[in-house]
Amino acid sequence: MASKGKVLIIDDDPDFCEFMRIGLESDGFEVLTAASGRLGLETMRREKPDLVFLDVVMAHPTEGVDVTATIKEDPELWDIPIIMLTSIMDTEYIGHFPTDKPLSVDQFLTKPVPMAEVLRIANEIVGTKS
Amino acid sequence: MIDLHPLKLELVERIGWLIRLRWVAVVSTLAGIAIARLVEPALPVLPLVTVTAVIALYNLLFLLYARYLWRRRGTGIRRRRSPIFAAVQIVFDLLALTALLHFSGGIENPFGVFLLFHVIIASILLSRLASFGVALLASSLYAGMALSEMSGWLPHVHLPQLADPLHYANPVYTAAHVTAVTLTLLLAAAMASSVAERLRRRTQELLQASQICEINRSELTEMNERLRQLDAARTQFIVMVAHELRAPMGAIISALNLVLGGYAPPEKQREVLERAQTRAYELLDLIRDLLELVRARRIEGPAQGVPVRAEKVLESVLGLLRVEAESKGLSIEVKVAPDLPPVLATEDQLRSVWTNLISNAIKYNRPGGRIAISLTHDGDQVVGSVEDTGIGIAREDMPRLFEEFFRGEQAKAMVQRGTGVGLAIVKRTVESYGGRVWAESELGKGSKFSFALPRATDELVAQTSENNQKTS
Repeated sequence: MASKGKVLIIDDDPDFCEFMRIGLESDGFEVLTAASGRLGLETMRREKPDLVFLDVVMAHPTEGVDVTATIKEDPELWDIPIIMLTSIMDTEYIGHFPTDKPLSVDQFLTKPVPMAEVLRIANEIVGTKS
Repeated sequence: MIDLHPLKLELVERIGWLIRLRWVAVVSTLAGIAIARLVEPALPVLPLVTVTAVIALYNLLFLLYARYLWRRRGTGIRRRRSPIFAAVQIVFDLLALTALLHFSGGIENPFGVFLLFHVIIASILLSRLASFGVALLASSLYAGMALSEMSGWLPHVHLPQLADPLHYANPVYTAAHVTAVTLTLLLAAAMASSVAERLRRRTQELLQASQICEINRSELTEMNERLRQLDAARTQFIVMVAHELRAPMGAIISALNLVLGGYAPPEKQREVLERAQTRAYELLDLIRDLLELVRARRIEGPAQGVPVRAEKVLESVLGLLRVEAESKGLSIEVKVAPDLPPVLATEDQLRSVWTNLISNAIKYNRPGGRIAISLTHDGDQVVGSVEDTGIGIAREDMPRLFEEFFRGEQAKAMVQRGTGVGLAIVKRTVESYGGRVWAESELGKGSKFSFALPRATDELVAQTSENNQKTS
């Protein structure tokens, strides 16, 4: 079966990456994973994924936010849609981890996101893109 | 620092007052001489004006010296010399007043009561002893004058308008007069200096109280700031805890959702559920850690321990952690001294101490590194230590290492998850049994964490084994 598109998961939780992979692959997506912001950016430059699911709190509380800031300034990357995921309840709590970088994401979702929702979003975004 | 000697403080201020008062006295004396001369033509004006001029002259010198002292503010000289300076002034005034009295009728002059002013001034300004000294000097000068005039050793200036007949040559009158003056002066010194003393003490107490208030206020400000920081750290900790708790929970729900929703192919389902199970245990561990912390925090005063064999607990903890260490390629060396006495703690708590220290040594070690664990005894203490060849700790992080919720920069960069609670639990637990914890570390080379726990007394060991036999 031909791949519907490339989805990159940037998350330091290997279980979460694996679960996303299983779910997305079952719907025909090609899935890449990266365990840190740095690896995620490298993978994005190399693989040009159609969609990125990005975790906020990794090794550093604002690692995910830092990644979006880098993406925003890189013309090669700034068109790639970003869905931010976190276990932190809402953006208000981000205030406890101060960062001067603006959030630039297409959507902000709170974990756990039902797989049906993940697939709906992935199909919608990757679908409109292709 | 606040000068706590109000006597001396007051003196510095009062010396200016004394000098100003003396100018008033000079002018009043001159006016007095002029008026008296109108009534009493026998008044010898020249000697009286000369004495008054001498007073004016020495007052000028005192003024210059006071200005000099005033300029030496804060050097201590001013405070040291002021009492002597005041005493010298009072002595000069007594001599001058006695001279004025002598030239204006001796004991027949009722202005002899002016001696009282000097005694009162001395009582206010000087110490109790010094004011009695001044009273005695005043009485002696007065008595000396009276007796000298009576005996004819000094010429008596007779003022017929003031006193007639002659009193000065009457020994009974002179004795009565001198005694009355002496008693009055001594009593005045006693009363005035006692009041002044009490006032000074009160002033001193007030000064001390206000100084204590000042200290308390700065302590409170500092404490408030510490509390504010602690509160901020706690808020962040709660957010971290919430995140930590949600992460495994989120993973578990995702796993179940994957299987129940039919997204996981049959051959993957078991793996997904196994991962979920591991995360559920992780969640349980985290909750246990948090409870451990709460428990360790709640202990106040020395905790009631039982004899526990530290080496046995170490063995069972190693049994659980060895696999994790080996998966990272770490070698573990264990050195346990023979004949270790049991320590005072509980088995659970000692287990948590070992687990925290050893898992840190695993987590923050480099792959293929080494962990050296030792257990020895030193007098009445059993000393355990865990040394690793890991990332080490920055010097500036060392003092905060055992603080709750604190994680060093290197630790954060290396290991993602961590609540910063482990070492706080270790410290609280060990200290609650009267032990202590400490750490040595070199950045990039490794760290060594040690704890010392008091050994259980033989008595307690015997008692405990007796109880165990009874229950078994």
